[in-house]
Parts: sequence; structure tokens; C-alpha cells
Amino acid sequence: MTGPRRLGLVAAGATLLAAAPISSIFDTWKWLMMCLLVVGFIAGAAFAARSLRFPTWAQALSMIVVLLLMLTWMFPSGHEFLVPTPSTFGHFADLFTQAGQDTRSYAVPVPDRDGLLFVTVLGIGSVAIAVDLLTVVVRRPALAGLPMLAIYSVPVAVYIDSVPVLPFIIGAAGFLWLLVSDNIDRVRRFGRRFTGDGRDVDVWEPSPLAAAGRRLGVIGVAAAVLLPLAVPTITGGLLSQLTQSGAGSGNGVGGGGGNGGRINLFASLSGNLTQSETVELVRLTTNEQTPFYLRFGVADQLTNVGFGSRSPSGQAVAAGMPDPRTATAGGNYQEFAADVKVSNKLNQGMLPVYQNTVAVEGLQRGWFYDSNQQVVYSNRNSTKDLEYKFNYVRARYQPADLRQAEPLAPDDPIVRLNTAHPEDPTVSALVTRLTAGKTTEYDKVRALYDYFSSKNGFTYSLSTQAANNSTEIAAFLKNKVGYCQQYAAALAWMARQAGIPARVAFGFTRGDSREGNTYVITNKNAHAWTEVYLQGFGWIPFDATPSAGVRGAARSDYAPDTELPASTAPSTATTADPSTAASGPAGRVERPDRPDLNDPGLSGSTATTESGNLGRTLLIVALIALVLALLLVPALRRVLLRRHRYAATVPRVTALPESQTGRPDVVVTAETTKAREDAHAAWDELLDTMVDYRVPLDPSETPRVTAQRLINDAVLIDESATSATLLGTAEERARYARKPLQGGELTAALNHVRRGLARSATRRTRLTAALLPPSVLMRWRLGLADSSAKLVGAGSRFRDILSRFSPRRLLANRGR
Amino acid sequence: MTTPTWDEPGGPLPSEDFRAATTAIMANIEQVIEGKSATVRLALAVLLAEGHLLIEDVPGVGKTKLAKALARSIDCSVRRIQFTPDLLPSDVTGVSVYNQETRDFEFKPGAVFANLVVGDEINRASPKTQSALLECMEERQVTVDGTTYELQSPFMVIATQNPIEMEGTYPLPEAQRDRFTARIAMGYPDPRAELAMLGGHGAHDPLSDLRAVADAALVRRLIATVRDVHAADAVQQYAIALVTATREAPEIRLGASPRSTLQLLRTAKAFACLEGRDYVLPDDLQALAVPVLAHRLIPTADAQLNRRTTDAIVAEIVHRLPLPHDRNRSPYDTRNTGGAQQQYEPRGH
Repeated sequence: MTGPRRLGLVAAGATLLAAAPISSIFDTWKWLMMCLLVVGFIAGAAFAARSLRFPTWAQALSMIVVLLLMLTWMFPSGHEFLVPTPSTFGHFADLFTQAGQDTRSYAVPVPDRDGLLFVTVLGIGSVAIAVDLLTVVVRRPALAGLPMLAIYSVPVAVYIDSVPVLPFIIGAAGFLWLLVSDNIDRVRRFGRRFTGDGRDVDVWEPSPLAAAGRRLGVIGVAAAVLLPLAVPTITGGLLSQLTQSGAGSGNGVGGGGGNGGRINLFASLSGNLTQSETVELVRLTTNEQTPFYLRFGVADQLTNVGFGSRSPSGQAVAAGMPDPRTATAGGNYQEFAADVKVSNKLNQGMLPVYQNTVAVEGLQRGWFYDSNQQVVYSNRNSTKDLEYKFNYVRARYQPADLRQAEPLAPDDPIVRLNTAHPEDPTVSALVTRLTAGKTTEYDKVRALYDYFSSKNGFTYSLSTQAANNSTEIAAFLKNKVGYCQQYAAALAWMARQAGIPARVAFGFTRGDSREGNTYVITNKNAHAWTEVYLQGFGWIPFDATPSAGVRGAARSDYAPDTELPASTAPSTATTADPSTAASGPAGRVERPDRPDLNDPGLSGSTATTESGNLGRTLLIVALIALVLALLLVPALRRVLLRRHRYAATVPRVTALPESQTGRPDVVVTAETTKAREDAHAAWDELLDTMVDYRVPLDPSETPRVTAQRLINDAVLIDESATSATLLGTAEERARYARKPLQGGELTAALNHVRRGLARSATRRTRLTAALLPPSVLMRWRLGLADSSAKLVGAGSRFRDILSRFSPRRLLANRGR
Repeated sequence: MTTPTWDEPGGPLPSEDFRAATTAIMANIEQVIEGKSATVRLALAVLLAEGHLLIEDVPGVGKTKLAKALARSIDCSVRRIQFTPDLLPSDVTGVSVYNQETRDFEFKPGAVFANLVVGDEINRASPKTQSALLECMEERQVTVDGTTYELQSPFMVIATQNPIEMEGTYPLPEAQRDRFTARIAMGYPDPRAELAMLGGHGAHDPLSDLRAVADAALVRRLIATVRDVHAADAVQQYAIALVTATREAPEIRLGASPRSTLQLLRTAKAFACLEGRDYVLPDDLQALAVPVLAHRLIPTADAQLNRRTTDAIVAEIVHRLPLPHDRNRSPYDTRNTGGAQQQYEPRGH
């Protein structure tokens, strides 16, 4: 079999392996049978076309024709026999539309729907053709990885959080198989391989260049793995998911799909609510009588496609969380504590806590608090099976309090961030009508909030489409049927239209079953509501969803249930704690126009910024000190070295022992040994000093010549010149003579030379010599190079040893 | 044992006596050869290193004069051979002559039977005659008709020659060149020395006034002193490295022989001794590398075409070759502080 034909079959096999990720989409394996047939026939067509030596365009055409025939045979419209007719194509178009609907209405894994199967088979077939052409015709198998990756992107798009890894490995193996086959084919085209000594080299034996490739590969993989770790993100694909995860007919297909990984706010909200079975998610105990909603996420990016989330950012929970009370005189805040036990079904990177949480205990490292979104999140950890405690403060507001809130300045960052919205005529007309005549911010919000009442015809139903983008919100406002998602988004949208900062918060209601102070929260309690920013008060929750439809709904004094008579609204608290209600207005009236001090988010963030600034400054100072210290290490090392050598060269007067008579030989006594060491130490110090002062060294020079050149080059005079000569003589005699020079004032000589060198050097050289001595740096560099060379040597020896046991070589030897 | 043999040269001299004797010899020679003290010192060093000296230069720069001055300064037997194209080997080594009275062959010693042999214009003789010197120069003996005759000690051949480009010359064979310890060039005298020469030589020949300041026995003791000079292991390694470098140099077809290593070290000892040291320095080897090594080497055809002389090649090797001493080693490094025998050369290798 010739290369191209074999390669074509490999391409088909690789395509099938790369199709493995599809298995996580479908419920059954019918798709695999169809794909096997299609890919097999396409490969067969290519094989035949190549055997008949068709030109490349004819090869491509034959594959396309086969794909078309297979599709016609598998998805017949009933009006044709194998040969596609116009009605066939009409049928295909219908299947496409059907597939589009199916993707909206079905959760993974999907049953065998004709439309989806058609799209799958068409896609895999096209990929098979593309891979075949890229590999065999263009001879660029690496590019064939792109269509293969396209297959893998399907489950990535469907599963927001965790994509099964096994299919990817299978697909990657297919890709590698393709690359290897192509390379082997390439090598074979050169003919047989020989070594220099004529040994036959197996095709599988790597070339010497392969080491470089391996190294590059390792670096690439390491970079690909490490770089994303350095960039903290959570799944940002929220916006793109809005269209896919319709709330439509859940039909129970979605089973446990929604709980698989992190919750994708809107989509998972509808998933939780439409799920047929009830799963316990959180068990919460609090000493508060009437807690509000548990909260874990925020969507505050309103664009044409709807509300979306931003990646939270903040500092570690362990570093402390802002306390709204520190910014106010206190009084109307009450602190409570809560105990939370999360079941293994809630698996997300966002921690359910109450608003204004001031401390969390029992969390491992890696949890962060975003003071703007007021959410606790983690990019690595999950809430699964988590147990933690947290303290939070709760403020009870009365409408009178909130009426004090002044509008924010238009250029306030909170306004800019949280009032952006697309223009929609329905919304703007409605908002203008509702807020007409309202003067305070609170009254405007109340007017919008009150609009979502049963009097105006609003009802609760889970079976609607998501209302996020501008056409959908218009539809919702017209149909007036929806659930919390629509209500929360619509109210936030309308508040933004009115110029008031608003966003959608996600969390859980109080739950419907209660055991004493313990609330049991299930997936049915997933909820979304609106948060409105009022100056001086911060983010105030408003839940516009009709409470009849929401199990465990809660209402506050400032936003009473729209179904109740309006007279109760402005009266004193019905549900709230009396003490807080009483003290509330007083504390509030005192400082009605204090700007933003009471805002938990903002004041908290400023507080943290201050403390963060201090910490950061300290950190920077410490870093600078560390860098300075590190920079001073060479200088320190140099000074220590010099001291050590000076200590070794302290002159000592010793009686020169007369060499024994007879044949004179090298004198080895304790004194001479010491004298030699002294001279060597002094000489080493002199050389280092020369390096420091940028006097070049020549390894072919003798000590005598070096000293002479030093005197000439550095223009040493008088004492320093004689000192240099003395040092040279001492070293020379220590190295070569029978008796070393003894009793020389080497330390003084070194000092003289050093001074002489400093005198003739430029200031810059002097500074470098003192602070960053080149001698130390050079020695380190040489040491580094030396050790790395040794390492490489050891590595290659080790590889030699290993290759001795290589099965390939053993087999090759046996063969001969 | 009436005459001391070469191997028993007598006791070494104290350094003061050595200094006095060598200074006297050099001063004596310098009466004749003005302004060439380095050359004179080198010539003396070769004598004390028990070697042979080849003086090569253009005609008229005082080659023969140096040779004769050195010979005259020492009171010993001196023979002179004027090498001519028709000179025969037997003229050099000696010949057996039939004696009518004893009715036997009798050996008539040739010119080499002396302490100092001055071979003038050695490359004007045919290679056949030049080869007659091979045995006596290396083995210090002459074998004629199967009988071996020992030569006297000290024995030194001082030969002069014109550069081989000159007309009427036969180049010395490699073997012969290798037997000469050093080749020195006289070089032209500087103007002042030349002026002095005019003043002195104009009236009379200073050579005729030259008196011997040393005798053979003294020279033997000088040689013994030189033999005692200490050459540290590092120096010996450096000598080997230098010679090895000539063998490995790409520009050289034939490198220096092991004999040259020995002669290099010997000459260096003599040189060190002349400078008043009892130990050899690498500086000595560096100074002697060109005179001792260059004349033995044969450059490649490429180097010849590039007009690279062996002198230049050796000088470059000297300049390039690092000393056998690890400069980057810290004295506190424990690698090399092993046995006691290493303590006097702690930076070897």
C-alpha cells in the first residue's frame, strides 16, 4: 500500500477517534454507528479514488458525493432512492431547523433526535473530508488538528464547567497517530536510513534532532498548562449560554446535568427550578428570626444579549471582609451568625452567604471576597460538602429611610457601571409612564416594583423563555408570564432605564421546610432578584417575583408584597424585628445625606483599599529591600572572601629553617606550606581585584608578567608598584620554587595595589568593584555553566545507559 | 678514573661562585660581541644545558665571532671545522690509518675530539658530511671501524649557518636540526653597538686579546649546578603542554620531539640559573620556546605559502597556551588539598 492511501485510512481512523467527545452529548450510541459508516465510506471512496489515480479535485469530489449519498440514505425524505433530489435538500433544511430547536429544548445527554443526528453525521463527515484532504493532499497533518478540535469544542460549549477528559485523550491520541504516521511516511520517502558506520536505522528510532523537539514540546506543554493558571477566571461563557439553556420543556431529560459543576447563574437557575426531582443543596442554621435570601452571585453586565456576570476579583477571605458598621455609627445593624452545611449536590465556586457578611470561618485557602459584587468566590475550590460558619449584619430599613437617598452623580463609577442598558422602546415608554411624578429614587424604584403585581396581570410560571435580551423583555412585559429570572431581569433593566443602578442577584430563598432555626434549601429554592443601589444605603434587594410562585419568599418593609393591601406598606414593621425598626429611622434621619458612608460595598472597599494600600506599601518596601539585599549579596561575598584571604595572609615572622644539606629538594614544612597558601590566597585576591577593576587577565601569563602588566596597564606607582611585584614574586616562588617567600607583607601589599587601582580607575569602575564585584559574578556564572554542563553530561550518560535497554535496540540486535 | 666522565661532572657550585663565573664568561664574550647580551646569555645557557648551539643568520653579523669568543673564553680544547662542499665525514670523525711501524691500523681522531667544536658554515657541507655529526652530538661518542671512542666532557658543537635560501647551501636534515638544542639569530647590531664595534675593531682584532676565564673543570661544575635547579611539576607540565601544542598545531607538519622537551627544560634550568634562581619559571620556558623549538618544526605547505615562519607559530602558541594552573579555583576549594606531595604545587592541573 502506498503512502498516501495508507495515510488516508489513518486520517479516517483519527477522525473517528477525534469524534469520541460526541459520546458525551448523546444518550445512545446510534450516532457512532452512523459516523462509522459515513467515515468508513468516505475513506473507502478516497482510497478508491487514489487507487485509480484520480486528480486531487476528483478525490475531494468523490468524498463529498459519498457523504451526500450516505446522508440521503440515512435521513431519507421518502421521495427519492439514494440519489438526492430537491426534496431531499428541503428535508435536510428541515432537519437543520429541527436540530436548532432541539439544541434549545434538550439538555445533555440528548436522545436520538433526527435533526441532531443529521448535524452530527454531517459534521463528522465534513471533518473526515477535511482531515483527509489536509493530511494526504496538502500534507499538513498538523492543520488537521483544527477540524478535530472543532468536534471537541461541541461538548466544551455544552458543558459549561467540567468536560469529560477521556474523550479528549482519545481524540488527542488520534491526532498523534496521524502526526506519527505522516512523519514515518515522510522518513520512508528518503529511503533506508543508515548511521555513519553503516548500521541500518529503524524507522522508529528517533533522529538526534528529536531531542530538540522533545525539549520544545515540554516547554510548550508547560507554558500551556502554567499560563492559564496564572490568569484567574471563572467560566465567562455566561452570555453565550443564555440562548442555549432555555427554560422550556425540561422533560426531565436534564436529570442531574445542572448539578454537574459550577452553577451557571441564569441557566442553572432555570435548570434547578425545572428539575423534576428535589435535591437538598444547603442546610443553614441562623439565629436571625426572619432572614432574607442566601446570595452567591451577581449579574451586572447588561448588554444586548442580556444580563451577564463579570469575573469577580478581590482579596482573600482570610484577609478580612469589610464591615458596613465600621463606616456608620451603628445601631440599626444587627449582627447574626449562621452555620451552613452544603450537600454534595451543590458544586460551584461561589459561596452562598447572606448580604453584608463580615466574617467567614471554616474555609480553606483560595476563597476570595469581591467587595463590589459582595460575593465570596473561588477559582479552585468548590462548595461541595463544605461546612462553614459566617457572621453577617442585617439592617432593617423603612420606606421613610430610603426616601432620604439622593440620586448619585451621573459620573459616579457605580452609576456608570450599573445603569448601562440597551435601548428598548417598550421599556423606556413604560418606565417614563411609571415614574412620572416620582421625585425620590426610592419612590421610582417602588413604582417600578409595584408594577409587577397581579393587579397588572403578572403571573408566575416556569414555562417561559428566558427574558434577557431586548426582544424577550418586551415579550415578557407584554405576556406578563414568567418566573424569577424574568422578573429580576426586567426590574433591574427598568431601574437602569430610570437611571438608578441595578443588578440581578442570585441565590436561594429561605426554603420551604424548616426545622427550628435550620433552613433546608433545595434546588427548588434557587432564586434571582433585583438589587438597587441607593446612595447612603448601598445595594438594597427588591424581589419583584410574585411571592405566590416562590417557595420561601421573603419581603421587607420597604418593598412589601405587591399582593397585600397597599396600606400596610408605609406602616411600621410587620415582619421585622421591632427594636431595629424603631431605631432604624432615627439613625437614618440623622445623616440622610452622608454620601455613601453606609454603603457596605463602597465603604468596605475603601477600607480595604486603605489597609490593602498599607499592606501593599509594606510589601513593596519589603520587596525592594529584598532586591537590594540580593543585589548586595555579591558585594558581601566579595568582602567576606577578602577578609578570609587577609586573615590567611597575615604576615608572621618565622625563623627560616635552613634547608637540609645534601641534595636540595622541595622544602615541605608547616611554615612553608602556610607561606605557600598565604601567597596563593594573596594572589587569588590580587586577581579578583584585577577582575573587579576591569584589568584583563590572560591565562597564558605567568605571575611575574601579570604583575608587570598590572603595573604598566593600571599605571601603578611607588608603593603599589613594588607591592604588585612583591605579590607576583611571592606567588611565583610559592608555585615554582623550592622555598616560598616568607615574611612578606602581603596584606599590606594587597591594600597598596587596591588603592593604586582605585586611584587610576574611573568612578564607575570603582562603584561596580565595590557594589557588584565582577569577580564574584563571573565566578558564579562560571560555576553555573560548569554545573549545568555537568548536568547535561550526566543526563546524556544516563540516557546512554537507558538506551542500552531500549527494546528497539534489543529487537534490532536480535534481528541481525 | 683519571678524567671525570660526563656523568660525574663534579660538585655543584654555590650560587655566588656560579654567578661570578658566568658573569665573567659573559663579560668576556661581550668584549667581542657588543650589544648582544641576550644572545650571549642564551649561548651560555646552551653550553650549561649540555646542548649544542646553531647560530643562523645572514653573512657578516658575527656568527663565527660569537662561536670563537665563547670557545676562547673557556680554557679547553677547541677544534674548528670549516664545512666546505668537499669535506668528508672522516675529516669530522677521524680515520684509521695504517701505521707502517706497528703494522696496524691506527685511529687518527677527527675534529670532533675536543671540548668545543666550532663548525663554521655547517650547511655548506653535503648532507653526507653533516650526518657525520649525528652520533657524536647526541651520544657524545664516535664509532669508527667498529670501535667506539668516547668524547670529552664538556662537549659542545657550535655551528653557524646561512639561512637556507642562500646560494650554495644544503639544508640540514631534520635529525641533525633536532640535535641542536637551540638556534639563535644574531641580528644586526644597533647603531651604538655598531659604532663601538668600529672603534674597537678598527685598531685590532679583539678576539686575539681574549683570554680564557674558565676551564673545563669549572664548566663541568657549572653544569652540575644547573642540573640541580628545581623544576616544579607545574613547570614540567607547562613544558610538555608547549611541546604538545606544537605537535597539535594545524600549521605544523612535524612537531617537536620528546628530545626537545628534555632540552627545553634543561636550557630553562640553565637560563634560570643564569638569572640567579634555583628554580625554573614558566617565564624561562616562554623565553626559550622559540629558540629551542622553532628550528625543529616543519610547517605545512599552507603555512609556508602564507609565509608563516615556525618562529611566529611557536610565539603564537606561547601567547595562547594557558599556564597549567586553574585560576578560577578558590584557595578554599577542597578539591586539591589532598596529599602532601601536592602541597607544593597546589594549583596543578
